[in-house]
Amino acid sequence: MTARAAPAWWGNAAFLTSFVFLIAAWQLSGLFLNKIFISTPSAIVTAFAEILGDGTLIRKFADSALDMGVGIVIASVLGIGLGVLMGRSPRMERAFEPIVNFANATPTIALLPLMEIWFGLGMAARVSFIVIISVWTLLINTLTGIKNVRAGHRDVARSFGMTRIQATRSVYVPAAMPFILAGLRIALAQAAVGMILSGQEIGEFGLGGLTQQYATFYQTAHLIATILSSTALAMLAFAALRIYQAMRHPWIAATAAGRR
Amino acid sequence: MLEARGISKTYRSGASEVVALQDVDLSVQGGEFVSLVGPSGCGKTTLLRIIDGLTPASGGAIIFDGTPLTGVSREMAFVFQDINLLPWRSVVENVEIGLEGRGIAKDERRQRALETLRLVGLETVATRPPYTLSGGMQQRVGVARALAIQPKVLLMDEPFVHLDNFTRETLQIELAKLWRRLGLTIIFVTHDVDEAIFLSDRIALFRSSPGRITEVATVGLRHPRWEFNVRADPRAIELREHIIDALQVRQSVLV
Repeated sequence: MTARAAPAWWGNAAFLTSFVFLIAAWQLSGLFLNKIFISTPSAIVTAFAEILGDGTLIRKFADSALDMGVGIVIASVLGIGLGVLMGRSPRMERAFEPIVNFANATPTIALLPLMEIWFGLGMAARVSFIVIISVWTLLINTLTGIKNVRAGHRDVARSFGMTRIQATRSVYVPAAMPFILAGLRIALAQAAVGMILSGQEIGEFGLGGLTQQYATFYQTAHLIATILSSTALAMLAFAALRIYQAMRHPWIAATAAGRR
Repeated sequence: MLEARGISKTYRSGASEVVALQDVDLSVQGGEFVSLVGPSGCGKTTLLRIIDGLTPASGGAIIFDGTPLTGVSREMAFVFQDINLLPWRSVVENVEIGLEGRGIAKDERRQRALETLRLVGLETVATRPPYTLSGGMQQRVGVARALAIQPKVLLMDEPFVHLDNFTRETLQIELAKLWRRLGLTIIFVTHDVDEAIFLSDRIALFRSSPGRITEVATVGLRHPRWEFNVRADPRAIELREHIIDALQVRQSVLV
């Protein structure tokens, strides 16, 4: 007897069943447990509706999105730029590699107070922290991508007489794109952590500031609604990245299996 | 026109030195089709890369039209065994690469690339990504990319080795036609003796350890060769026997 693969809808149905079961169990737990700990789904939905209705959530969400957006753009320019430079110039690599290793090994959260001292209690400090937490991943991934360009593609650039700059722009950077985009995916998650953390610590700002506020007054339902909103923000960023890759770099998925 | 003089190449492999090429001389006339034939690892690809300037030689010189070459030559174009098309560029953008390297303006680049694609019969797939094409079509793009810079010499490194038999024979005839039509000089690496006989004016035979040329055989069959059955030609049969003897293929059979 041969086992057949389950039909495609089966996985979705299984997920839906377990999800509904989980939510129901959570809701019922509210009958026995102190609601301060995990609240209940219905209370969270109510809290969500409330802070959405009075405009709090949208305002904080937009504030945080701006911090994270500016941070990730600066981190991308610096990280990808320096990664390309180091990947294409052995001298640059020798000059910067010790610094990169040192910085990457430093627990970034320890730098948060330093950002406050340097840049005060405003956006500059928060964005700097987001940059510092995400830039190393971008830099190291870009460098790895540039170093891993196939010998055959390097031969093409050389044999067809491209200058160093032409080869960098037309061969090395596009070839490193799968590494760069993978780095960007991780960097976005890191930037989301930086966004919440800096919001909590620097001027009670955005979604991070909101979690701080709700936690202080044990408003657990509101707190969880805010946490889920920051998850949604990060997931929106991931989705945007996926769409960008599918539209602008379709070759990555198309040649991923069996690339020669 | 093109001459390799006393070319040698040694690699360092751990503590030992590997002699990939030892004192290789080869001279190619303008418009000539010369094949380099020999077993795997005999240094024929290395010689081709040295001629193009992709790999530096350990000794000797490549003389092109009386001048020793330094670096990658602008008069020669390389066709790779693995084709090496850039998947993030469309077919026509791939063909433009060499023109980009020569600093030609965008409009002219596109126009010349399209003309070259027409030459290999691929103008209809110009905007497609290369990975959507069959292996044979991809290597036609590889040939077009090389021809687009209007090179004097085409260097081809086992370009048809990954293709199936039918496609390979079709491309051999297309290449022979292009060679005659464009008056190209071609240096062609292969380990397929029949392919070398069908295409070449002369065949340089390689032996390995150390890599060297032991003989340069003249084919002496009339062109164009797609008009008769080369394989059944007595001269071709005799030449094939001679080449296989010279390469000592039979002596290297172990069981």
